[in-house]
Amino acid sequence: MSLQPQRIVLDNGIAVLYHPMPANPFVAFHGCLWAGAASEDKRGVAEFTARLLLGGTKTRKSSKLAEDIERLGATLEFRNAEEAVHFGGKCPRETAPKVFGIMVDCLSNPSFPQSEVEKEHGEILDEIKMDMDDTARRAAKELMASLYPNHLYGKDPRGEVTDVKRIKRSDLVSHHKASYGPKGMIVVMSGDVDRELVEKKISPVLSKFEGEGERPKLPIPAPAKKVTKTVPMPHKTQADIAVGLRAIPRNHKDFHALNMANLLFGRIGMYGRLGKNLRDTQGLAYYSFSTLDPRLVAGHWAIAMGVNPENLQKAVDGIRLEMDRLHKEPLTDQEISDGKDNQIGSLKVSLERNVEMAGEMFRMEYFGLGLDYLKRFPEMIRSLTVEQIHEAAEKYIRIEDCSLAVAGPVGRYQEKKLQLS
Amino acid sequence: MATVTKLDNGLKVILKQIPGATAVSVWIGYHIGSRNERPGMTGSTHWVEHMLFKGGGKLKKGDIDLLIGRLGGKLNAFTDTDFTAYFETVPADAIDTALFIEAERMRNAAFEQKEFESERTVVISEREGAENMPEFVAEEELWSNAFHIHPYHWLPIGWKQDLQRLDRDTMYRHYLRYYAPNNVAMVVVGGFDEAATMEKIRARFGGFKPEQPPEPMNLKEPPQMGERRSVIRKPGSLDHIFAGWHIPEFSHDDTPKLAMLSAVLAGWRGYHPFAAIGWQPRSNRLYKALVEAKLAIDVTCRAEVKIDPGLLVSHVAVRSGVPPEKAERVLFNEIEKIKQKPPSKVELDVARTQIHAWSGFENDGVTYQGMITTFFEMAGGFEKYDHTISAVDRVTAKDIQDVARKYLTENNRTVVHFLAEEVKA
Repeated sequence: MSLQPQRIVLDNGIAVLYHPMPANPFVAFHGCLWAGAASEDKRGVAEFTARLLLGGTKTRKSSKLAEDIERLGATLEFRNAEEAVHFGGKCPRETAPKVFGIMVDCLSNPSFPQSEVEKEHGEILDEIKMDMDDTARRAAKELMASLYPNHLYGKDPRGEVTDVKRIKRSDLVSHHKASYGPKGMIVVMSGDVDRELVEKKISPVLSKFEGEGERPKLPIPAPAKKVTKTVPMPHKTQADIAVGLRAIPRNHKDFHALNMANLLFGRIGMYGRLGKNLRDTQGLAYYSFSTLDPRLVAGHWAIAMGVNPENLQKAVDGIRLEMDRLHKEPLTDQEISDGKDNQIGSLKVSLERNVEMAGEMFRMEYFGLGLDYLKRFPEMIRSLTVEQIHEAAEKYIRIEDCSLAVAGPVGRYQEKKLQLS
Repeated sequence: MATVTKLDNGLKVILKQIPGATAVSVWIGYHIGSRNERPGMTGSTHWVEHMLFKGGGKLKKGDIDLLIGRLGGKLNAFTDTDFTAYFETVPADAIDTALFIEAERMRNAAFEQKEFESERTVVISEREGAENMPEFVAEEELWSNAFHIHPYHWLPIGWKQDLQRLDRDTMYRHYLRYYAPNNVAMVVVGGFDEAATMEKIRARFGGFKPEQPPEPMNLKEPPQMGERRSVIRKPGSLDHIFAGWHIPEFSHDDTPKLAMLSAVLAGWRGYHPFAAIGWQPRSNRLYKALVEAKLAIDVTCRAEVKIDPGLLVSHVAVRSGVPPEKAERVLFNEIEKIKQKPPSKVELDVARTQIHAWSGFENDGVTYQGMITTFFEMAGGFEKYDHTISAVDRVTAKDIQDVARKYLTENNRTVVHFLAEEVKA
């Protein structure tokens, strides 16, 4: 299987990437345009606008839009994020040009009917309310706010309740006019696609998209503010722990070394070293894993874990012990060799699905990794040295820099008692 | 096309070759789920599943993760009411590693006392994490109230009191009794040579002796004689309504009609739970009546795939400020409407098109194909999945009305209201 996608750039600035996977006979697509929270001048307006793209266009009411999409055997979704608005869906090959036609209609001509604005208004507020009652999301929200103080990465891209309440229809119209355009937009497709379909049938449809938006200049976040915070939620059974620190953006030279350290610390198998201790040996948690989340201008590394509140202290002690051990007993040659085999082998396994292939192509374009990234990937991983991986772990995974947030029935646990370091 | 072979010891092998696939997914489904449990040992099947990641025979603890990790593979396991399934997806040339793991897992799991105890708190933690979610609390109440006799009364995770008390020896006996070749279907999907793969499977599994066939689970839920209702009051964010109607087992002739009924009511999100994350169908009756009308923020409807008669479940996440009784009234009005007025041609077209399209989406790649094949084999025969998908073409508007009138009745339904009380800081 060739791992190099085809890429064309349309006259209006849209980059289109595609990769045939004929064994999976449908089209999976994914993409983004630069109209997310980073482009808004009133907090919450990007989220509201993205959600209303399916709320009706100048020629289709919301119900007609839904019917047209579903009659084509398709799915189509839009999702706002901090840096951009993402879209994606699936459809049969035969209906793909029409599905992209509907997508372009949604992006070009949203009508923002007042009734849909009111509907979405309530839904966003209720979703925020639900997240405030979710221990894992609550802990993660506190952690992100500490890692990116006053930066869009540290804020809920939906805005807070007060922001959402202030948004009017005219704000959506303004944001759409200013931010929705094809320049720098990315569209990737995988599955039952070929040159004929993409270049002759879909590209002419995408070429019709016009608009003003441009890629925003993302501000570099200020340094993280280290905090320890507990969020009492006495009605819950389990507490969620989020521990983390600022790391690196995706294009940083240390990315692959740090990614390997993270894989071995809290991901591989049943959550790496962390899971082996906290889940497998101590039986403290069903999940305890780490994540490296590199973005365009910054990134962070975090641990997530759900525990019985009686075991909070043990869990925090266990996290501390494993993070310390990463420096006192660095990753062994054998661990690193296993990690390299994992990453190289995963190319054959993790790209077996259309949706996974589309996601990988999207990241290649979004982060500018190059069309030959997947071809180069095995050699990049093989050439990582033990020293590079140790240095990345030493430099970035440091307990003294970590923030800690706990949400749940924390009871007698106060912030002072839960210090990590 | 699949090739089906049965080994002398009863092990059923289903091979689905995908020429050119660089990966292969090996699935093993055991015909043992929480429906085979008894009061006092609920959650044991799921706990056994956890224990089978802890080595035994030629596998030391941690070896499964290590072997699959080195290959960059995927692995996981699922315990359902009707079955337990394990899988590994690995590069095609490493199929023997997956077969080796599953062979050791089938007969040689260690079940060390120390490991058993450390897993007790992990399983309880899994349950406690779910208890944080109103949807879990309400759905557990729904099944326990809809089924008084049949073991669908409890969910596969089991009651917490049982998880606190279960002992290792009971669990180990359970394992030895049911993890036998004559209680298994193996599904292999991906890039492989059929003859060579069968040879490997015979070499790994052919020597295992069958156990006595599992005793049949004969408990039948008596017909429900009136609506059952319960209310849960807990601090939370939103009110939720769960309504469940008794429907027949998956192999019943009405299954395609019930699929179409649920698609017309609330859209289609595929049969398996992973492909549709995030997708909200909007051109359906319940979305229009509840979400468009600003009474709810989400509504779903699914006819459960079960060996025994199960439930068609509808869930409404009620919008803030809306009395749940009002949302419930609208939900049941829509059910009554479909009995009175047949679905339109457009509704039928959308439902059929979506069901067909989703059969492609939820078979994306070797892992998902293995999952679908295994799940449906466990529910009565893997070929029934394709039959159901093609049979929806023959379902008429009248068929949909008929099954709505037959099953979606007041006497046959169980309703749970999760009423969110104000969260005290």
